[in-house]
Amino acid sequence: MSFSFKNSYKILLLFILFMVVIGIWNPNALLDGLQRGSLYAVIALPLALVLGILGVLNLAHGDFLTVGLYIIYMLNTRFDMDPLVSIVPTVIILAIMGAVIYLLTIKNVIDEGHLSQLLITFGISLILIEGINIIWTSMPRNVYTNYAYAAKEVAGFRFGTYELLYILIAVGVLVGLQLFLKKTRLGQATFAVGQNPKGAKIVGINVNYVYLFVFTLAVAILGVVAGFMLPRTSIFPAVGSPFSLKSFALAAMAGMGNLNGILFAGITLGIGEAAINSIPNYGGWSDIVFFGVLIIVILARSYRGAK
Amino acid sequence: MKKNILIILLVIIALSLPLFTGTYLLHIFTSIIIFLSLALSWDMMLRTGQLSFGTAGFFGLGAYASVLIVAKLGFNPIMSLLIGAIFSGVIAFGLGFIVLRLREIYFAITTLALTHVFSVIIRNLSDLTGGSSGTQLSNAIFDGDPIKIYYLVLIIGLLVIVLSEVFKRSRIHFAINSIRNDETTAKSSGIDVFKYLLFVFVITSAIQGLVGAVYAQQYAFVNPESTFSLNFLLLPIAMALVGGIYSTNGPIIGALILGLISEYLKLIMPYGHLIVYGVIIVFVVLFLPQGVYKPIKDKFLKSSIVGGDSNAHTKG
Repeated sequence: MSFSFKNSYKILLLFILFMVVIGIWNPNALLDGLQRGSLYAVIALPLALVLGILGVLNLAHGDFLTVGLYIIYMLNTRFDMDPLVSIVPTVIILAIMGAVIYLLTIKNVIDEGHLSQLLITFGISLILIEGINIIWTSMPRNVYTNYAYAAKEVAGFRFGTYELLYILIAVGVLVGLQLFLKKTRLGQATFAVGQNPKGAKIVGINVNYVYLFVFTLAVAILGVVAGFMLPRTSIFPAVGSPFSLKSFALAAMAGMGNLNGILFAGITLGIGEAAINSIPNYGGWSDIVFFGVLIIVILARSYRGAK
Repeated sequence: MKKNILIILLVIIALSLPLFTGTYLLHIFTSIIIFLSLALSWDMMLRTGQLSFGTAGFFGLGAYASVLIVAKLGFNPIMSLLIGAIFSGVIAFGLGFIVLRLREIYFAITTLALTHVFSVIIRNLSDLTGGSSGTQLSNAIFDGDPIKIYYLVLIIGLLVIVLSEVFKRSRIHFAINSIRNDETTAKSSGIDVFKYLLFVFVITSAIQGLVGAVYAQQYAFVNPESTFSLNFLLLPIAMALVGGIYSTNGPIIGALILGLISEYLKLIMPYGHLIVYGVIIVFVVLFLPQGVYKPIKDKFLKSSIVGGDSNAHTKG
């Protein structure tokens, strides 16, 4: 899980060049893309962690985010709690929920084929979406906070300050995860399980515990993301679903286990999306960026693998 | 012999259904047969070991092809069903050369991504497709006569069932099963894996296109949201799983069970009745990996060995 500067300096150079070109062409698109991209990346990080360690592609990933958003919405409307404050209880609730769901379902299919794993997370995703539908109906809901729309003006260029937080969160979560994996004992065990579960078992690592911990952690991180997302998004039962596939697109683009790459991939795709979005009359095509890139990356890898 | 009589009896019941049911029940059975056909086509692809999430995509392509050709070129609606099937089949043929190199999780995800790509393309070609508000036809097929529509759907359903049985009984099923069990062995036994995969992929996609075309013509309406809805992917998968995968009878039984349950739940639970599908998928994957059909059949055969024997005799 390392990102060696030496091997990827060309990619890094291209990445910077890409940002500069977009920035000159349309500074708004650059800023918008940075924000979107960081949001995509911070949501994709936990998915990539689960994919890398457990080998399970969690199709319900985005729906756990939706659950987090609704919990924060509920805390806000019932107890008048600020979305950023309610991150703490939400993370705890989500962590418990993630652990229970893992123990009840995914744990039992972890040694089975990909078909069972994909189908079971598909089923969980459906249960979460429809459960929210039953409790809150499909009506879109909003939370208003006065800081979410604060804006600053620098050299005649006006931009929202709140969304810049997304970049900080993305970097923060990434650094936190890297420190955890490298510096703590549990993190090193997790790293070992990701590389070779059988070997890890032989040297005495409790693999089942690591799996449970990683899944719980991944779901809990989504609680943090939800807290920062809610003030700027209107929520409905399927709000998180697209993120599952988009996160997988980022994980596939960065390569398995490359956590730093996800941040770069996320920002690149976010800027690409924002750039297309800003072209008048062709904005609708921006949705194709992720899926197009996902298909191209998967195919490119399969061709390279075949050779 | 016993089995043949049962099949004939069921076909007669299906054919005579409009005689003794009202419009509402007929409508339910029409949609059950539509989902049944989708479930079977998904299962036919699964028998090769490839988990496809592209059902909704090819369904939508067929629906759009059929509606647009009627709306823009004034084709006969029945003719347009065929066009829908051919269009989906041709697209699947072209894409097959690229995506059928992928396996397992990557094939599944790519087909799911293709569904999204199709819907984005169609939403953005608004001059042709009407964009996000969709296209409406002035008239449904057969002027919306429920009995005629039922028979049309029934014919397609029977066709798909027969096709699925042909796949199970003809020589091709040896190739399909061996690809699923061990691709390397299949390849080294001289089976052209890619050729068979492409063949099955094109056929199943054409079925999905045909079903989509019928569905769209029944409601005389397409729009990207509802036509490419993931329901056309999820419900067939749940049906096939509940009944039992890798068989013809499984998806049929699953479609009947789930179709009737969900229709009932829709009445008492306006929001979120689809949660049943999620619960059933999870439950079946965990506790009934073979579905309901096979355990019941095995039990039935054990309790009456004579029935099993006569079956084996007629087959031999």
